[in-house]
Amino acid sequence: MARTLHQHRRPLLRPAVGGPPARLGGLQKERPTAIIIAARRLNRAAGIIAISVLFDSAMEHYRGNFHNKAMWTPIVTSLSSIAVSAHGLADGRHRAHPVRDAVYVAAGFVGLVGTGFHIYNVTKKVGGFNWQNLFYSAPLGAPAAMSLSGLMGFLAERVRDNHPEGEPRVFGLPAGRVVAAATGLSLLGTTAEAGFLHFRGAFHNPAMLLPVSMPPVAAGLLAKAAIGRAGASRTPSKAWLAATAVMGVAGVALHAYGVSRGMGGWRNWRQNAFAGPPLPAPPAFTGLTLAGLAALALLREYAHD
Amino acid sequence: MIEPPRYPGYDVLAKRNTPSWDAVTRRVIDERLATPSTPRFFTRKEWLTADALCRRIVPQPGEIDPVSLVALLDAKLFANHGAGFRDADMPYMQDAWRKALAAIDRDARAQKNDRGFSDLSEEDQDALLSAMQHGKISGDRWAGINAKTFFERRILVDVPPLYYGHPKAWNEIGFGGPASPRGYVRLDGDRPDPWEAIEASPGDEDKADRENRRVV
Amino acid sequence: MSSDPFSEPRAKDGRAPDVFRLGSWVSMREYRQTDEVDFAIVGTGAGGGTLAALLAEQGFSVVAFDAGPYFRPLEDFASDETEQNKLYWNDARIVDGPNPIQMGGKNSGKSVGGSTVHYAMVSLRFRPDWFKARTSLGYGADWPISWQEMWHYYGEAERQIKISGPLTYPWGPKRPSYPYRAHELNDAGKLLARGCESIGIQWTETPLATLSAPHAGPEGKSPPCAYRGFCRFGCTTNAKRSALTVWIPRALAAGAEIRDLAMVGRIETGPGGRATGVHYHREGGWHFQRAKNVVVAGYAVETPRLLLASANQEFPDGLANSSGLVGKNLMTQSNQAYWGRMEQPVRWYKGPPSLAITEHWNYDDNKDFHGGYCWMGQGPLPNEWAAVQTGSRGLWGEKLRNAMLDYNHMIGVKMVGEMLPNEKNRVTLAEDVDQYGLRVAKITYAWGENDKALIKHAIEQMGRSIDAIGARDMFAQEDDTNHLGGTARMGDDRRTSVVNADCRSWDIPNLWVCDGSVFPTVGGVNPALTIQTIAVRTADRIRKLSAAGEL
Repeated sequence: MARTLHQHRRPLLRPAVGGPPARLGGLQKERPTAIIIAARRLNRAAGIIAISVLFDSAMEHYRGNFHNKAMWTPIVTSLSSIAVSAHGLADGRHRAHPVRDAVYVAAGFVGLVGTGFHIYNVTKKVGGFNWQNLFYSAPLGAPAAMSLSGLMGFLAERVRDNHPEGEPRVFGLPAGRVVAAATGLSLLGTTAEAGFLHFRGAFHNPAMLLPVSMPPVAAGLLAKAAIGRAGASRTPSKAWLAATAVMGVAGVALHAYGVSRGMGGWRNWRQNAFAGPPLPAPPAFTGLTLAGLAALALLREYAHD
Repeated sequence: MIEPPRYPGYDVLAKRNTPSWDAVTRRVIDERLATPSTPRFFTRKEWLTADALCRRIVPQPGEIDPVSLVALLDAKLFANHGAGFRDADMPYMQDAWRKALAAIDRDARAQKNDRGFSDLSEEDQDALLSAMQHGKISGDRWAGINAKTFFERRILVDVPPLYYGHPKAWNEIGFGGPASPRGYVRLDGDRPDPWEAIEASPGDEDKADRENRRVV
Repeated sequence: MSSDPFSEPRAKDGRAPDVFRLGSWVSMREYRQTDEVDFAIVGTGAGGGTLAALLAEQGFSVVAFDAGPYFRPLEDFASDETEQNKLYWNDARIVDGPNPIQMGGKNSGKSVGGSTVHYAMVSLRFRPDWFKARTSLGYGADWPISWQEMWHYYGEAERQIKISGPLTYPWGPKRPSYPYRAHELNDAGKLLARGCESIGIQWTETPLATLSAPHAGPEGKSPPCAYRGFCRFGCTTNAKRSALTVWIPRALAAGAEIRDLAMVGRIETGPGGRATGVHYHREGGWHFQRAKNVVVAGYAVETPRLLLASANQEFPDGLANSSGLVGKNLMTQSNQAYWGRMEQPVRWYKGPPSLAITEHWNYDDNKDFHGGYCWMGQGPLPNEWAAVQTGSRGLWGEKLRNAMLDYNHMIGVKMVGEMLPNEKNRVTLAEDVDQYGLRVAKITYAWGENDKALIKHAIEQMGRSIDAIGARDMFAQEDDTNHLGGTARMGDDRRTSVVNADCRSWDIPNLWVCDGSVFPTVGGVNPALTIQTIAVRTADRIRKLSAAGEL
């Protein structure tokens, strides 16, 4: 790692991909740099996770009757995150945007506060920190998704905030490695949440094993990429991350099947969509794996031997 | 005087075509609501006595659409829909009712100038029923029937469920009513599902009424 | 549109109802009455249904009879208490004694699946010491089976029934994890928990025989519990793991025949004093089915009734009755409760009635009486609740109507308490006859001093817990009982028992009893799991006996 850092103090010998057109007038359209591509991917990841958070928190907080006004907060922050993420997707500048930054930081913060609320919700129930309350009171891992969305967006801005012709860095470290590490950890956290709820469901269907098996492998591959050899082949990791992204989408369909397995099926949606497996939750995996693919792209782009 | 309505505007029948009711439940409740109001088990005299008795056990004073408990009781006895077992000193359900109604009427006449039970004032009817409940009634007029056992094991077992098994009573007490295939999502008491009854806070019956009319 | 399950049998012509699919059928093997089937089982509930499945899966030919109808839960069960009284044994019976037992829905089902069709699904294990109640704890009688052996079979039963239960259980030796997770508590459950914590005793989520997640088995799929609260009136979702959804479908798949609307009235014996088959009433007439073995599984009233009614020249006192104990040592369980009203709404009608439970007083021996009890949350539907108001408070008239208005604010806990065996508590044959022309059962019962002491203690403790949560207008329900047992008790001595540890009667080696009648003691827990467990063990024992040529 130290050797690689040292290497990166020398200017790149290859020109950055894309960049302003050379010697042709101002008529040619700007092609995005690898940095912008990565940053936008991270904005996209943040947006996808925020969409998941929006619908998931809306449904779950509706089930909780919005009994505490604070339960509206994730609706607001996820909507804002979606908005600024869309903005980031259209933005080609190599500069962090203060409003986007603020929204993402706020989202991250709200996720932490939400976790605090959920912990309080669990501990104040009779029996406190027991299985019953962990299973059926406010889910401890859910607000973290808001923080993860904020984190991805925050990383988007940090990645973007780099000179187009240098290797991008986040807090002085190679951006690819930082994003890989952050995404890997995030995947493990999301796995824990999904795994816990699937455990509550007694893994009654073998497909419920998917989110506790595929994402951890993806996280492992990302960890390896984060700390491993710069020039290592990324193709298997890319494939696995892509498959995990598909898993996140398939999860929605599988959850829809799960809803139909409730008494009365979809006709009884007013019960089964809320009591059954949450439709909006699985795409969080998709968002994170897209961020992971962005990390792999950065690592490939700026790899040295 | 029955207190002001706790769940004004709430009607379980409004959920009849929602997932809270299924076909078999609709059929069963429809049949109950269409119970004929002419006797098939009771003689005319028994019907009058039973009617008066039911009105005291579950009074519905001045209410619009009171449930005809005697009609439901007659239907139940006609079909012999009871739990089947009897106390050793009592006849089975159908015979017990016939014998007891006759005895109640004889007792009423003996006490009050040959007026049958249905002709007594409400206070006098209540007094007679109370006396039965507290074991103060026996004697020749009650041959073969233990009045106290009849009150406790037949009257109180057979009559109140006729009322509390009727949608009117479910509305009155805010019971969720039929629930299949749709059961409940929110299991807490203070957080009802949108298809449950809203309880009126005292003085704010109008608000609850409006909300309950939207319950479906 | 389905036929009326009461007017004519559904299990015939080579098919039986598929309870998992609307209007659908499964094929059913049928036997001729002249075929000497391996096992004729009388009753298809917790004992008979379980045994029918396990014996058929071992390859035995099995015909299981039930006096009741073959319900299709998805189509026949209404969300209505009154209508669903059709699940109970409503035939003529006589109750007698200083404390006559309430029959019907408290303890007696009549349908394929027996009482498991209407029970509250509470699935508890006996305290290990109870299997040696006399030698370890000084009361009642010893079971001829060790707790260790039962512990193994309990695990088997729980696994096959698919109990939804807590990850750790506060009492007793370690047990394997339940196959499904415990259900979410409703307010009634949470308030029980709060009450227990306030008075310093443990509580737990009740292990329940209803699914907390979907299930797909070889016989069909079920959704999870929809928390509709009509559990004791028939589960329309099939989340409930009754004999009707668990054991009977397996029995059919393994080649057993079920005969619904078939009331067995007499067991025939022949040369050598062995059982030869059963006389049963079906479709308007009496028939006789030959069998190599007869298993009686009619529960604690119908089993002794049948054994006594089958008296003949060789066995003038009834079958399997050389000990004189058939019908005696009837036990019920005390079922008192404490009720109160909360400031906030509780709406206890949502979900299974007993989502939380405490078994503290089954394991704490700091008592001056024998035996134990548990108490559990409650969620009575309107008629059930009206019955409490009239039965224990004697309310009627305006007072009843006003009291019922508080329905959504009520809270309560109800016990299941051990009552001790006493030969005077018994089932005998009365002179009355029922609609089949069979002599009616008379059930005579009196509470003993120990029973009363236990009840008094329990009412006080339950009252403390209800008081501790701030309930108002509290009252005790002092007169109630529920489950039954004891009338064909098992033991290791033919002079003091009716059957041995294998549920085989001492007098007639091919006559068995496999239901709650065999309990020497009734314990302070609901009996259904133990009955099914005894059946699982008995099936295993029959397998071994058959292999050894000892059947």
